[in-house]
Amino acid sequence: MSMQTGRNSISRRRFLAGSTAVAGALAMPRIAGAQAAAVRIGLIHPVSGFVAYNGQQGRLGAVMAIDEVNQAGGIRALGGAKLEALLGDSQSKVEVGVSEVEKMNEAGVAAYVGCFQSPVGIAATQAAAKYGTPFVIDVGASDALVSRGLTNVFRLKPGFGRCVDDAIATLGELNKAAGSPAKSVVLVHESGEFGTGTAKLLAGKLPSIGLEAKELIAHDNPTRNFDNVALKIRALRADIVMMSNYQNEYVLLAKTLLQQKVNVAAMFSVLGGGFNYKFVREQPDVAEFMLDHNHWFNPKSTKAQALKKAVEAKGGLFTFEVYLAYNAVMLIADALERAGSADKAKLTAALAASTWTPEIMPYGPTRFVNGQNQGGQGATLQALKGDIEVVRPEAFASAAAVFPRPKA
Amino acid sequence: MSARAATAALLAAALVYPLLFFGDGAWLVRSNYAIDVGMLALFAAFLGQSWNVAGGFAGLTSFGHVLFFGTGAYCSTILHVGHGVNPWFGWVAATTAGAALGAAVGHLTFRVGLRGSYFALITLAFAETFRVLANSVGFTRGGLGILIPLDQRAAALQFHDPIWFYYLALALCASGLAIAWWLTRSRFGTYLAAIRENEDAARALGIDVVRQKVRCLALSGAMAAAGGTFYAQKYLYIDPSIAFGVDRSVEMLLVAMIGGAGTVFGPLVGAGAVVALGEATRALSDARGLGLILYGLLLVAIVGFLPNGLVGLVRAARRDA
Repeated sequence: MSMQTGRNSISRRRFLAGSTAVAGALAMPRIAGAQAAAVRIGLIHPVSGFVAYNGQQGRLGAVMAIDEVNQAGGIRALGGAKLEALLGDSQSKVEVGVSEVEKMNEAGVAAYVGCFQSPVGIAATQAAAKYGTPFVIDVGASDALVSRGLTNVFRLKPGFGRCVDDAIATLGELNKAAGSPAKSVVLVHESGEFGTGTAKLLAGKLPSIGLEAKELIAHDNPTRNFDNVALKIRALRADIVMMSNYQNEYVLLAKTLLQQKVNVAAMFSVLGGGFNYKFVREQPDVAEFMLDHNHWFNPKSTKAQALKKAVEAKGGLFTFEVYLAYNAVMLIADALERAGSADKAKLTAALAASTWTPEIMPYGPTRFVNGQNQGGQGATLQALKGDIEVVRPEAFASAAAVFPRPKA
Repeated sequence: MSARAATAALLAAALVYPLLFFGDGAWLVRSNYAIDVGMLALFAAFLGQSWNVAGGFAGLTSFGHVLFFGTGAYCSTILHVGHGVNPWFGWVAATTAGAALGAAVGHLTFRVGLRGSYFALITLAFAETFRVLANSVGFTRGGLGILIPLDQRAAALQFHDPIWFYYLALALCASGLAIAWWLTRSRFGTYLAAIRENEDAARALGIDVVRQKVRCLALSGAMAAAGGTFYAQKYLYIDPSIAFGVDRSVEMLLVAMIGGAGTVFGPLVGAGAVVALGEATRALSDARGLGLILYGLLLVAIVGFLPNGLVGLVRAARRDA
């Protein structure tokens, strides 16, 4: 082999450099081959349709969690396997949600996260159950999601029943502490499962804290005018308005009550779809003193504050969909670490036995009973001076509650 | 190829299609997703055919056909969940209820001479009324909806393997095609065509216009109601928005119009196009709704430039050839 120097010959230095490069290139596939295969997570949210904003927020939170896990080195128990998001749009349609489950199953998902709307979640979890694929509900209020005996379904956040019980206890406590100025309530709710279910549960429990449910007023989605509802509430002379509706109707109802000068001791919602930073910052006068019992992050958690900043740096708002979806993915990541496998049965078992503590939430350690986490709880929030403050539970409170609201 | 041979080929293809994708012995590749898409297309075709029987063959343009769909879904579901009636019998009851409701709506509207846009609006009003009622009355559980217990046995009209829902949808679709074909050959169908083209002339010829229209709406209502039960048993949950939501009425109407209203194969062709388009554009969902925009634009283009639907386009091409 010639190694002579010359115009068309190869110098020793160039030969060494070249051979090193070739050897490196040949070795690359071996290194790449040694890298663990990515674990696919199917994210099914309604990113188009009438609840598109909520769906997009859910997707944002889940994708941020996946990025965070990957940047931290992936799933260590799986040799640093990365998480890979498969994005699905349910379009708010049950059949499309199921179709996404089928499609993602063929793409080899290890677990699903979704679906925001309970009807879509009910059908999608059933479809996933056929394959034994774990399905973590990020948002979905209906208790039917976790009461059908499907062993593959998990919900980290508290359900209807727990939220309503906690909200009622807080409202009773606030009213009692103020000398019981409120005696009666009107409930305004959207006519779907979420609004109807919440309103009926609330109405049944109000007498236990000395409040009378004067009337339940249902409205459609979408509703463009609440003038008549406001006038009816004024005529009923209710002390508290309780509302259970989605974003647009929530905001419109609150605005209409203010415009129509309906003076009440409190506007209180449970899982109020519109009680978020967008509403409170864009319409601080309307939102001021409104109370909501909802899924909320722990304001004292530095990790939660860092995540909030990261979301806001992206131009987004730190709404409940974001951190609930974020937690759903983190729960799966933790289960993957403990299972040491992306095998569906092992992952399901690891999820069922989870004791993971979602640091950014006011939750204790996870404990699933029939797929429902018993360690989760909501927080009672109040809009104060253009911001959202946690007023209950006391351990996580960032401000004192104002009840009853000052007369306009 | 004759129409009969084309139909036989189409039926054979539909029968074979899921075998390409089903189970470990799949002829092509195992894919429940492909079977699911096929099922959705056949189901949409059947619902579109139910609209076509009234809107296409008799000119009874309805904007609220979901009225019958929802009635069927609620009827079998309430009978099953509330009273323990086997869903197979519930399906028969639901179909009968759909026919009865079709006859009742027809009797109420046609007797007083409502037609055209007035009939379209009254059907929309009926559907909305039923949606509000379903939200309000106790036996439908209002907005909470009704969850059908999971019991994946054929005896409970539930199946573990998607192929059986596919074949059930195929059976529905084939029965819809048979009904449409019968309308092109029967005296009843001729009456309907006469009514559609000129109602006054039909009456002058001695046709009992109200009676024939009522019969037609009853037939169409029965079909849509049967579709409602199929949906409920497949997805195991219904609520007022799912059962009586206006978007499903629009879907039924669009499928028939895109394929070709008043033709036997129009709804099938339209459903194939709509479902394929929907699945293709959904692949663009990363663009947040771009898929839906594209889908909408294509629908506008088809409806705007192909007044006789895709079947009309094929016929024109054949004439030119």
